Amino acid sequence: MGMSTTAAPRPQLTLDELHHLKWVLGSLLTLVGLGAVFYLEVEAWTLTGVTAACTIATMLRPGLPARVPGFVHTLAFPLIVGFFIADVWRRGEVLPAIVRLDILLLLYRNITYRQRRDDLQLIVLGLFIIIVAGVLSVSPTFAVQLLVFAACALALLLVVTLADSLAGPAARAPLAPGAMPAWAKRADVAHLIGRLRAVLDWRVLVLGTVLFGGVVAVSALLFLAIPRFQLENSMFLERFIAKKAKTGFSDSIRFGDVTEIQQDTSIALSVDVSDHKHIPASPYWRMIVLDSYEGGVFRMSSRLKQRELMPERSGTTAGGAVRPRRGEAVYWTFYLESGVSRFLPLVGPFQTISFHEAQHFRVAPRLAMVALREEPVTMTAYRVEDFDLSGTVPDLRFAENWRARTEGAPPREEHQVALPLTAAEHAVVERAVAEATGGARPEAGEFARLAGEWLRRQHAYSLAPQIPAGEGDALVRWLASRGSGHCELFAGSLVLMAREAGFPARIVTGFRGGSWNGYSNNFTIRNSDAHAWTEIFDERSGAWLRADPLGSGASAADEVRGEAAVASRLDRSWKARLDSLRMLWYRRIVSFDQQAQAEALQAVKDVARSSGREVRERLEAVVAAIKGWLAAPWGWTRGLGVAGVVALAGAAVWLLGRFGPGLWRRLALRRGVRGEDPVRREAGRWLGRLGQAEPAPEHAEVRADLLRLRFGARASWAKPEAVFRRARQTVRTARPRGRVTRS
Amino acid sequence: MSSHEAEWEGPRGRARRRFTWSGLLWSFIYPQRGNRIVPTVPGVILIGLAFGIGTAAYNSSSNILFITLSLLLACLILSGVLSWLNLRGVQWRLVLAPPLRVGQVTTVVLELRNQKRFLPTYGLWFEFSARVMDDAGAAAGSTISASAAEMKRIFAKAAADGQGERIALAQRLDPKGEGRVEWTFRPARRGRVRVELVAVGSLFPFGFLRKGLGTATRADALVWPAPVEYRRQAVATPRRRAGGERVSRLGSSGDLLALRGYAQGDSHRLIHWKASAKTGKLLVRQFAADSAQSHALWLRTDAAMWGEGERFERLIGFAGTMAEDLFRTGRLMRVSINGEPPLPVRRPRDLEIWLNRLAVALPAREALEPEERPPSMAGLITFAPDGASGVIAIMSGEVTAWA
Repeated sequence: MGMSTTAAPRPQLTLDELHHLKWVLGSLLTLVGLGAVFYLEVEAWTLTGVTAACTIATMLRPGLPARVPGFVHTLAFPLIVGFFIADVWRRGEVLPAIVRLDILLLLYRNITYRQRRDDLQLIVLGLFIIIVAGVLSVSPTFAVQLLVFAACALALLLVVTLADSLAGPAARAPLAPGAMPAWAKRADVAHLIGRLRAVLDWRVLVLGTVLFGGVVAVSALLFLAIPRFQLENSMFLERFIAKKAKTGFSDSIRFGDVTEIQQDTSIALSVDVSDHKHIPASPYWRMIVLDSYEGGVFRMSSRLKQRELMPERSGTTAGGAVRPRRGEAVYWTFYLESGVSRFLPLVGPFQTISFHEAQHFRVAPRLAMVALREEPVTMTAYRVEDFDLSGTVPDLRFAENWRARTEGAPPREEHQVALPLTAAEHAVVERAVAEATGGARPEAGEFARLAGEWLRRQHAYSLAPQIPAGEGDALVRWLASRGSGHCELFAGSLVLMAREAGFPARIVTGFRGGSWNGYSNNFTIRNSDAHAWTEIFDERSGAWLRADPLGSGASAADEVRGEAAVASRLDRSWKARLDSLRMLWYRRIVSFDQQAQAEALQAVKDVARSSGREVRERLEAVVAAIKGWLAAPWGWTRGLGVAGVVALAGAAVWLLGRFGPGLWRRLALRRGVRGEDPVRREAGRWLGRLGQAEPAPEHAEVRADLLRLRFGARASWAKPEAVFRRARQTVRTARPRGRVTRS
Repeated sequence: MSSHEAEWEGPRGRARRRFTWSGLLWSFIYPQRGNRIVPTVPGVILIGLAFGIGTAAYNSSSNILFITLSLLLACLILSGVLSWLNLRGVQWRLVLAPPLRVGQVTTVVLELRNQKRFLPTYGLWFEFSARVMDDAGAAAGSTISASAAEMKRIFAKAAADGQGERIALAQRLDPKGEGRVEWTFRPARRGRVRVELVAVGSLFPFGFLRKGLGTATRADALVWPAPVEYRRQAVATPRRRAGGERVSRLGSSGDLLALRGYAQGDSHRLIHWKASAKTGKLLVRQFAADSAQSHALWLRTDAAMWGEGERFERLIGFAGTMAEDLFRTGRLMRVSINGEPPLPVRRPRDLEIWLNRLAVALPAREALEPEERPPSMAGLITFAPDGASGVIAIMSGEVTAWA
């Protein structure tokens, strides 16, 4: 048996080079897979770092795995299993333990020479990490990473197939531990790159790229076309992993916590609004209401939780406090990033809230709050129908209780007016109130304005608060000083002052403002937009009024809205362009559901139908125009014009036929693109012409040069243009073969 | 026996059928017989992964998983497209070089060419098989009409008998390039053998699917009997004359025996120019040969005498070997089998005809009639059983050789 091929013009990778390429691709695949760990937020940094370092080292020096002692291979399997069991037992988290096990296996596969099945294992291990990271983070990076991984994996499988084909079944024998395969002894990455450049044909490379583009396109089509069923269940991998929210957005905060969040400029929230007319210029994204103040800590009291948070429910929709109104509903779609909070940002009281995936949650309609049971480990998408954008939170039940207080005097703390301070501290706060109001007793709204102005006069805004040292309540000490402070101190001081003046007041934390992305047309709220403000109860309206000591002072009702508000927050920077990709990912991919699928298919159908109609109409118009032109009266001028055009067209055709092939040949000669080498073809042509001439001794040299161009090695060529010029001169001067001349 | 050279064939057979979309769709539902697509271990893993991810995607409504599922399915489609591109434009031709003889190494050459403009072809393998056909001819175990399972069985049996093998094309087949694959085998039985390219297969590009295409490429040939070792004994012939006997048999003595038409390979010195000029076509001279003793072989294959087993095969081999030896020494005049007319042996081609006849000789069920027997003549060699399984050659009533 045997096999041979004709001499190939392009070199071919040897078996050793294919093995080396396979090794490098496997290492790259591992590194791509490890990249997913960085946004998976699993505690495996050391292991990941070690694995990445080992992978890079063995990729550059493929001889290294041979130095791994034999006992490592013997003990590898029991050690890895033991590590996994101990990990699960110690930390009690299954999914992170599996991820760490996966990384460990990747590490082992990169410090041992891989057989075919090991390469497959490498692909599966890498894919597992990427999928888990993608599902848990819902990050747009997943798409990029998956594509890169797929390209690497396909290339690896291709090389494995080619190597197997070249080696035959005999070469699949396992390698003895500690032995170095022949290819690893001679492996040199620079040499491999050089060989790859020599071997690759640009046309094959272009075709490969086009085919991979086709794979992406087919994937997109399949994604659109795969039938969807809304099974209404969720929590696939999320239940196996726990995630901590960033401090500042839990139901208990200390001074300074919100400031820490302000250092983080990553995106916390993206919001789509169906009707831009309702967009406020300065939106407040409320999350948590903190009513209890004690020992320098604001927290949501258990009493408020019990009374306002409705029992937990599971599902995708819930009603709010706002009643349905006439007219077209306004939909606000929120994409809350993971790790922000389990309390969902809302603009105010709402009519209904619906989730993209089923959730366990509790709603507090009168507080305009929604709390999920767990911190979401993945991006959470929800849609809210119709917000109350007045900036007030009506609370009729509290109003009734408040009125009842004046009559029956129920406990003060129940009404969010408790102020557990010492007498001296009370005196400090009372003095501040007196200075702010000038001794008058205004309504709640007016009091908030006056107190806010007083606070701004007394204190400058700073992210580095200056709280005087001393005994007692830190907030009171700051209030009494003229030190600078952040939003939390301002809001907390206003609460103290309002309660001292007898107004129920509380702190609300969330975000303020945000930018309007001019590319994807949505609000982008970053963690640096975190804010705390005050709500003060207005007995007259029976609602909680928003009072932000650091705000503009204008009421929500007086704010500009719509396009003017958008213009004031417009962001068209490069960062916004990048953020728009994330929004595209969330809108078109992550939130793609049965309804979106039906809409997409309908859109495709409409486009096809309308484009078909448009083409038909254009054709009909062209035909009608031609008919009209032909039917118009013919005169000499018109006839001559048409004849001229026909003559010109004929001349162009003749010129093309006469000189076109020559031009094409020259062009091909210059570009060097055809099946056959154009220089060799041209040399063949001149040899043919020379063959028709009478042989002469002076032709020998140019004939030899032409023969070298036609059949010789490229290195032996003279300059082709010069040879062809000489050949042309020779043919012109030569006598045709067989012609008899007369003397 | 002439060289068997098949036409160029490709994945779609000799005749290029016109492409139709309905034909393509139909081929998915009812593939061409002999075509096999079997998932490999990576393929099973991919399908398992796709199934698992699909189940998880539907259970969790996670679009991330739907994207992964879509990508896996797209990769499977890409694999099919690349596999199709790889096989497209590849053509092959089977070249079988005679003579074939039982027990002797035979080389089968498969010439390949890649008709694609710029895409090379990788990783093909070729499954060869050689099968001796029975009297029914091609109908017996044809791989063209066989189903995939039957083909697999046929090939497995052939491989087990050493009459089938899978040869891989290790090198790249460049665009517009040519290559060749050689397969060697030892025919185990005499008779009419069919060498077939059972299938062309590939794991290209990603090794997910083992794709095999049944082909109609085949070549038939006759396998001559194996040479038999025998002992000879000089035969005393009373009529033998010193100086030899001039016989009417081709040879190289100076006596002109006849004229015949020129054949390629004949020496130009043998051309009879005068006769050629008269007749208008090239004629060459044939000379009589000098021979001390010329022989004729007469082979009887009565089943009652020889049975159907080892002794019969020994008889056939003996007759073939003796004929070759006698021809080589220029002492073979005629050969005949049973009641068939005697065949004069003048040229190597006549000997080949005799060996071809022996290749397909079967035990005769009926005894010969007396008029079918050749007349008794000097130098006539016949065969008879000897002992349990031996065969003897008899001339003029005396044993002249044992096998």
